[in-house]
Amino acid sequence: MTWLSMIGLALSGLLRKKGRNTLTMLGVFIGVFALTMIISLGQGLMSVITGTVSGDDNLRQISLLPGFGIKQNDKPEEISIEGDMSERRRDRLRRAAIARSQLRQTSGGQSNRLTEAAMAELARIPHVQSIKPLIIKRYAVDMGDKHSESTQTFGVDFSRRHPEERVIAGRYPNSAGADEVMIHEYLLYTWGFITEEQAASVVGKTLVVFTRNGVSEEFPQANGTPNAADLQAAIKELKLTEEEMAALLKLSPRLPEIMAKMRGSDTKKSQPVRRELRIVGVLREPEAGDKFNLLEDGQSSQADLFLPDGLADKLLREASGGGEMSYQRALVMVDDPANAEAVEQKLRDAGYTAFSVAAVLKRLESSLTVVTVILSFLTGIALVVATLGIVNTMITSVLERTREIGVWKAVGATNFQVQIVFIIESALIGLFGGGLGLGVAALSMIPGDLIARNLIAQRTSIPFDGAVFILPYWLIATGPLLGTYVAVLAAIYPAMRAARVDPVTALRHD
Amino acid sequence: MPLVSANDVWREYRMGGAEPVAALRGASLDIDAGEFTCLLGKSGSGKSTLMNLIGGLDRPTRGSIEVEGRDLAKLGARELSFYRRKMVGFVFQSFNLVSSMPAWENVSLPLVFAGVKRAERRKRAGELLERVGLGRRAGHKPTELSGGEQQRVAFARALVSNPKLLLGDEPTGNLDSATSQQIMRLIVEENQRGTTIIMVTHDPDLAERYATRIVRMADGVVVQDSAGQAAGGLTAHGAPARETAR
Repeated sequence: MTWLSMIGLALSGLLRKKGRNTLTMLGVFIGVFALTMIISLGQGLMSVITGTVSGDDNLRQISLLPGFGIKQNDKPEEISIEGDMSERRRDRLRRAAIARSQLRQTSGGQSNRLTEAAMAELARIPHVQSIKPLIIKRYAVDMGDKHSESTQTFGVDFSRRHPEERVIAGRYPNSAGADEVMIHEYLLYTWGFITEEQAASVVGKTLVVFTRNGVSEEFPQANGTPNAADLQAAIKELKLTEEEMAALLKLSPRLPEIMAKMRGSDTKKSQPVRRELRIVGVLREPEAGDKFNLLEDGQSSQADLFLPDGLADKLLREASGGGEMSYQRALVMVDDPANAEAVEQKLRDAGYTAFSVAAVLKRLESSLTVVTVILSFLTGIALVVATLGIVNTMITSVLERTREIGVWKAVGATNFQVQIVFIIESALIGLFGGGLGLGVAALSMIPGDLIARNLIAQRTSIPFDGAVFILPYWLIATGPLLGTYVAVLAAIYPAMRAARVDPVTALRHD
Repeated sequence: MPLVSANDVWREYRMGGAEPVAALRGASLDIDAGEFTCLLGKSGSGKSTLMNLIGGLDRPTRGSIEVEGRDLAKLGARELSFYRRKMVGFVFQSFNLVSSMPAWENVSLPLVFAGVKRAERRKRAGELLERVGLGRRAGHKPTELSGGEQQRVAFARALVSNPKLLLGDEPTGNLDSATSQQIMRLIVEENQRGTTIIMVTHDPDLAERYATRIVRMADGVVVQDSAGQAAGGLTAHGAPARETAR
């Protein structure tokens, strides 16, 4: 038996009912198309995430924050409620216990501040390479007649981090303590330096950073929300009666506590700071393809001035009026990405808040995999429906062609040959449907990528030009094969029916 | 040794679990190579059933059918297919052409299952269509052909594998007398080339006119056989054949 002849016979059978077979094929097409898109999206997003995160030492970094006197329970499944009680009650209590355990107070409810001593202690944890505070602070800034009331500054360890590709004019500061600064192109733009040449002209000029009235603006709220000092001043200004004060207390019973805190911050005098700095370089906003450091670049995405970390620390000490320093956040570097999660756990056990990029990445990856698998299964339903469509089409075809099958048998077709013709017919439906689904999916990824990229560009500040859809190589082969496989399975029963056709009955003259 | 030897052949059908209905009740018949045999009988006499058994489309319930010494009842489904492919050509009353295929593809259909290459199939089909006088209509679909032309295509299909046995089940049943004659002439011609012909008909005139041997069937058995006597003579049972008496 020549397979080519069988394929020819099957093909001529297919072409006889073009409309019906095309519709059946569309079922396979839709299934394979959707499956391809979802798997490619999953693959693409995965590579976007790993691509963005895994470069530039990201996986060796841990973001360290003060402990807030609470500890997260990592193993709620281990909570059990003992005692003799109904299962409903046990379930209620268990859920209540889980809810309460999730933010459990640590011993004494004391918060763990990120002091220098504490950081020195934490630096002794095995595999920790360094712990350095990340200093992000707002100052007022003057440059000649240009002024900005609140500009975010960021202390950069220029000895370790060289965002070379971002320097559009000048150079890095010379040493950690130098009175030098790099300025972001955006601040210059708001000051009227429109072109890059104009921006570059500020290199060498002097810039003044300062604070007013000792008011520190470490973490100002969103615009319009007064900071602590403003609020306190405003309440004093109002000269409230006792009744009004009582009404306020009704609004928040914690008001006395808040007031006390405000007075507390008042007693620790913040000192006005004023320092002249030389602009040595201009940095641009990150572009796609730049090394992107999730923790540093992510935290400092609003920073307009980049100070050497030593200088940033010196200014912070001056502003806080001396005494023991306590930082808002620090950056922990571990020796190897493989140790990041273990170190993160040790930092948490010590009562601090810590997030390793590696762990976040791992969680993201595993949830993305789960979502992709679930979506693939749902899409698989489309393929199952398509399979039923093929079964239906093939049975109809067999019934319609009973007499023809009789002729085939009369002229010497074996049962196997009869089966094979129908299986090939079905396989061709699956192959075309699967191939088309794969091809159209591959084509739709081009506009799909553009749309996704535009959406990302419009809504986030992260530079990005990678592919959101990545068609894995294994899928190129398996797409049409999957369609064919499904179609062959669908054809088995109809083909068996075809082989069972009794030629005498089929050929009877009526 | 006869080419075909049917021995006490029974064929019973079971319908819905009731008592089996017998279409053949112990029919016996020997046919020599080169004969042109007509199976004559009324509807329900078992003549078509016997022909289908000889053609390997069906299997006897009891008895044996030997062709060239091989018992068809003992062949597997696959071997029976090969037997039909190599030994037998069928011509049916209702032509049974595949309407979507042009004439030449219909003719060459048996060669598809025999694994003959397309170019060779086309050549072979062309030759046969030429022989039945349809050489210029090879590309026409059955719907574009007249009844006589369609039957000639079917005839060419039956001969495309060079069978030793040509079986016709009322091949002229759907045709007017002029086209019937054309078809019968083709069949006689084929018989003269040495092909053994077995034809089922209920038309005594037709049998009389063309066959070299007439076998009458009734109620599932052979009741008259003109073999062994002069054409137009008495039947094996000694009664004068009605059709020969005229």
